[in-house]
Formats: sequence, C-alpha cells, structure tokens
Amino acid sequence: MRAEQLNAILRKLSATSGEVEAAAIISTDGLVMASYVPEGIDDDRLGAMSAAMLSLGERAALELGRGELEQVLVKGKKGFIILVHAGPDAVLTVLTSQTARLGLIFLDVKRTAAEVARLI
Amino acid sequence: MHHKILFSGPVGAGKTTAIAAISDVTPVVTEARARDRTRLMKPHTTVAMDYGVMELEGGDKVHLYGTPGQPRFDFMWEILAEGGLGIILLIDNSAADAMYRLRHFLDAFDEVIRRTSLVVGITKMDLAPTPTLADYSERLEQAGIRAPVLEVDARSADDVALLIEALLYTIDPGLDAGDPRAETAQ
Repeated sequence: MRAEQLNAILRKLSATSGEVEAAAIISTDGLVMASYVPEGIDDDRLGAMSAAMLSLGERAALELGRGELEQVLVKGKKGFIILVHAGPDAVLTVLTSQTARLGLIFLDVKRTAAEVARLI
Repeated sequence: MHHKILFSGPVGAGKTTAIAAISDVTPVVTEARARDRTRLMKPHTTVAMDYGVMELEGGDKVHLYGTPGQPRFDFMWEILAEGGLGIILLIDNSAADAMYRLRHFLDAFDEVIRRTSLVVGITKMDLAPTPTLADYSERLEQAGIRAPVLEVDARSADDVALLIEALLYTIDPGLDAGDPRAETAQ
C-alpha cells in the first residue's frame, strides 16, 4: 500500500519533467523502498550508493561548517544525480539528463521529498 | 609519513567500535538507522565509512578507514582499499556463519590481501569460544594466506593497538613501531 503510494509519487515526478530519467526512495541504510529506474541501473546498487553519498555529504557539510545538508549534487558528462533527505530516515535520489534545467528540477525534487516525508 | 590501514569485515564485528577506541581524534562516522536484518543486532549501521587517526611514536600518522559490513556497500570496500598499507579483518565469532563470512571477505579483498598485508581479529570470543583461532588459521592456510589471527575486544584500545602493531610488523618485520599508543597514553 505504502509502496504503491511512493511509486505513484515517483511516477508523478518523472511525468512533470521529461528530464528526470530515474528516481528512487531509499532508506538511509540503503534499502530501496520504491523506485522508477530504467533497465541497466541496478536498484540495489543505486540504493546503497545513495545512502553512502547522502551520509558522507551530511558529515562533510556539518564538519566543514556548511551547516545542515540540503542536497548532494553530482554532475557527470551525461547528467546529474541529485540526493536529498525525504524525512529523517529516507533519501530521494533523482537521475536527470545533462540538459536538465536544474532550478525547476530542484523545486520538483524538494516538493516530492516533502510529500514522501509526510508518508513515511 | 602517512600510512593508511583499512578495517573491514561483516556487520557487527566491531569496525566502528575499534576505530573509535583507538583514534586520537573524534572519528568521522556515517551511521544510519538499520532497517535490514542488522536491526536485530544493533540500532545503527555504517553506510559509507569510518575514519580515525592514530599518531605513532616519532610522529608518523596512521589513517584508519572502516568499511560498511553489508555486501551491498562493496563499492565502498574498493574505494576505501585504495592506497592502503594493509587490511585488518574483524570477524564476529558469535555469528553462526563466522567461518563463511571470513571466506567471503577473503574473496572480496583477495587482490588487496595479496598485494598488501592482512591481520585477522576475532571479536566476541567471550560470547562464543568456537571456532577457535586455530580453526581460522587453518582456513587462511587453505586459502594460501599467511596472516596473524588474534582474539580482540574491539572496545579495548590496547587490543586494537595490538592488531595495528601486528599489521605494521607484518608489513615490515624490522620496523620499530614502538608503542602505537604512546601518543594517546600521555
């Protein structure tokens, strides 16, 4: 039931922007709770990597005096990876194309994370 | 001189605890609330890495990196193993499949172990006396690996220092490591 709701939220996120190529909701210890990913991306790897990056980002932001973590952003030649907290115990990970308009995506990601946080 | 040592091994073996016990600085820890089977054992689990530093007599620094224990984080094992002098594998003796877990980590770190050095620390032997240290040594021998196997309490700075000392001596038998805790003991 909850998984269905989470999946619906992810579908909505990808529908609002064609630039979102994959999205997943993951527990902070790296287990996938819901995901919308194309073939060729392994759910479990995505989950574990998201948890590790978010956790390191969080520690780095705090220890290097940047305050509480808002987002981790990775830029590759083929696109972006965006990670944000969705409530204290979950991570929202979004993969986009390289042409993504980040400002808009950030808004969508933030809204989606809030929605997820309310649900879990 | 800077040295890098890796602590690895399965969930609950005491990697985070060991680094916290010996580090001269407050360690960097990346723990998240456990939702997998780990939660039956402990409330939190490492998801990226632990990091601590230990200063040797003479000013050399040993950088201590700890890996997550679950195989789904094995990409961190590779990342953290890079540039390491050697690896300390901690094995929880109270786990029903302790021997199997050792083999799993020997396989996963095979290349690193053959290129660098290995010391095996067996934890929680007070909770489970078997397998014995001899059992572990035999398993290592079968795998063609020569490495010291020690019983340790991961909470004890003395015990963790002993592991590190054993590793440093394995790397360089002529090394005068002194008392690795000389700095912390003051």
